[in-house]
Amino acid sequence: MLLHVSENKEVAKGIWEMHLSGDFPFENVQPGQFIHILIGSGREHVLRRPISIAAIEAEKETLVIVFRVVGEGTDWLAKRVEGDVLDVLGPLGTGFPLTTKQKILIVGGGIGVPPLYELIKRLWQQGNEIYCLLGFRNSDDVFWVEKFKEYGTVTTYTDDGSFGEKGLVTQRIAEDFLEKNWSNVYACGPVPMLKELKGIVANFSVEGYFSLEERMACGVGACYGCVCNNQRVCVEGPVFPMREVVL
Amino acid sequence: MQVDFAGIKLKNPVMPASGCFGYGKEYAKYYDLSELGAIIVKATTVSPRLGNPTPRVAEVCAGMLNSIGLANPGVDQVVKKELPWLRQFELPIIVNVAGDTVEDYCFVTEKLCQSGLVDAIELNVSCPNVEQGGMAFGVDAGVLAELTTAVKKVCSVPLIVKLSPNVSDIVQIAQAAEAAGADALSLINTLVGMKIDLMSRKPILARGVGGLSGPAIKSVAVRMVYQVYKAVKIPILGVGGITTGLDAIEFIMAGATAVSVGTANFTDPYACPRIIKEIKAYMEKEGIKDLSEIRGCAHVLS
Ligand SMILES: Cc1cc2nc3c(=O)[nH]c(=O)nc-3n(C[C@H](O)[C@H](O)[C@H](O)COP(=O)(O)OP(=O)(O)OC[C@H]3O[C@@H](n4cnc5c(N)ncnc54)[C@H](O)[C@@H]3O)c2cc1C
Ligand SMILES: Cc1cc2nc3c(=O)[nH]c(=O)nc-3n(C[C@H](O)[C@H](O)[C@H](O)COP(=O)(O)O)c2cc1C
Ligand code: FES
Repeated sequence: MLLHVSENKEVAKGIWEMHLSGDFPFENVQPGQFIHILIGSGREHVLRRPISIAAIEAEKETLVIVFRVVGEGTDWLAKRVEGDVLDVLGPLGTGFPLTTKQKILIVGGGIGVPPLYELIKRLWQQGNEIYCLLGFRNSDDVFWVEKFKEYGTVTTYTDDGSFGEKGLVTQRIAEDFLEKNWSNVYACGPVPMLKELKGIVANFSVEGYFSLEERMACGVGACYGCVCNNQRVCVEGPVFPMREVVL
Repeated sequence: MQVDFAGIKLKNPVMPASGCFGYGKEYAKYYDLSELGAIIVKATTVSPRLGNPTPRVAEVCAGMLNSIGLANPGVDQVVKKELPWLRQFELPIIVNVAGDTVEDYCFVTEKLCQSGLVDAIELNVSCPNVEQGGMAFGVDAGVLAELTTAVKKVCSVPLIVKLSPNVSDIVQIAQAAEAAGADALSLINTLVGMKIDLMSRKPILARGVGGLSGPAIKSVAVRMVYQVYKAVKIPILGVGGITTGLDAIEFIMAGATAVSVGTANFTDPYACPRIIKEIKAYMEKEGIKDLSEIRGCAHVLS
């Protein structure tokens, strides 16, 4: 389907927030699902780019994505301006299952942060008590922290301490767990972060969901390019129950 | 638009290529599969296979590399679950068969034929993504002839042999398959390629190499169809980089009877029905009533 770019702006160094509007099944989106975007005419870039849905503004018939420029496809996306048209497939994949009235821990690292925004919003709407840890490389990379704060207690970490606390998002979880007694954990971010997190929370009784990344071709389940632990990241994922994830 | 391909009646000459369309389920959400000329499903082996480690896809300029490695649920599951589901659509079903040994190929072919659910078999002797078998059967004329002869004995439906472009003399290989009893040829499977990640300074694909497909290989595929058309009497299924109806027409002019579409399904899930419409529009514009009017026409001048 075709969506119009209604806004595209750089929100941190090399990180762009793009608003897309048009005819899209906004009501059916689960947080954690993604769209698969055609780059140019598709003759040079034959593979679409998977980007998570970061926010849904159903009343404005708009969805928001946040992406980091890392190569030709995302560079092309960064150059789109208001009024340009994008060919997208979606919403695709399986997102985060929601819960009500629980004590929740959300952990996000870098470009893994965006899909957690729609998640925290929905979890807040469902009356959950939310604690959120967001990690970035340094102050240049930080985005959307204020938006997350509307829905929970947020602690931010940077590798060099140039914004928020210095160090890794995972460094205090073990201690805090004893006090906070979280029942659910949701995470998206680099593999080392997820690995560390999984190790820590394994000692507690908690239900967890991780969002994973894998290189994709079709994005719809036909090519078996994106398989992880024998499941297709584009269909059974990108969100998997933490216990099933082997990192 | 109708064509007769090795005795199979096709309502149009367009079918999705093996490995690029699963068993049809995913694309059935986008359109009615009965619009297709036929369907070629994923490579099927004796037992289930998980495939190669990831990353197993990468993009390159005007194409992609894959090293899926024949991930499939095995022939029993295919016969029990996938093919009966596909039968609800009005279209011939072609199953791509792969194996490590001649016995494997015969075993899978026989099981598929006995199920009564397949209209043709496509022998995959050209997969660059497995250690054993696969491409090894497709690069030596003698070995290929032996395999084709053996499979032909247990194959009660038309037998299509899918050739590898990774050979020095495609004509010799094609003729060997024809002489051994192939009813048709499929040209071409992927070319072997590699992409290196400048950050990690290592190949992107976990397996190092992968099969190159997409627009980048079209001219190689057209050339091979052209060369082989002159040298054999059996029909040719053209495949490699077809993205539009005009690409398909080019293959037909080189000598293909039908075409299959792989990578383009990933770029555009509606690629096959769109290509069918584009072929039809071209025929109307050029006043072509039957594709046989232009099949192999590129040869007339030479
Ligand atoms: C389910 C899912 C959700 C994602 N959500 C986001 C998001 O919200 N924001 C964001 O910035 N990025 C996200 N990514 C990563 C994003 O898809 C890649 O950064 C992007 O495809 C890179 O394209 P490129 O052309 O700029 O880079 P190139 O490196 O030039 O791309 C070449 C090829 O590799 C693939 N590729 C490269 N890096 C990745 C990667 N990390 N993951 C998957 N494929 C990759 C590309 O899709 C393309 O096919 C997501 C990935 C997945 C699988
Ligand atoms: C992801 C992928 C999986 C494939 N799997 C198979 C396969 O199982 N058997 C086979 O014979 N060819 C397989 N192929 C090759 C295609 O059927 C086709 O021959 C090739 O991709 C060239 O066509 P294209 O450029 O239209 O993709 C595969 C190709 C891709 C891209
Ligand atoms: S990308 Fe094709 S199966 Fe997931």
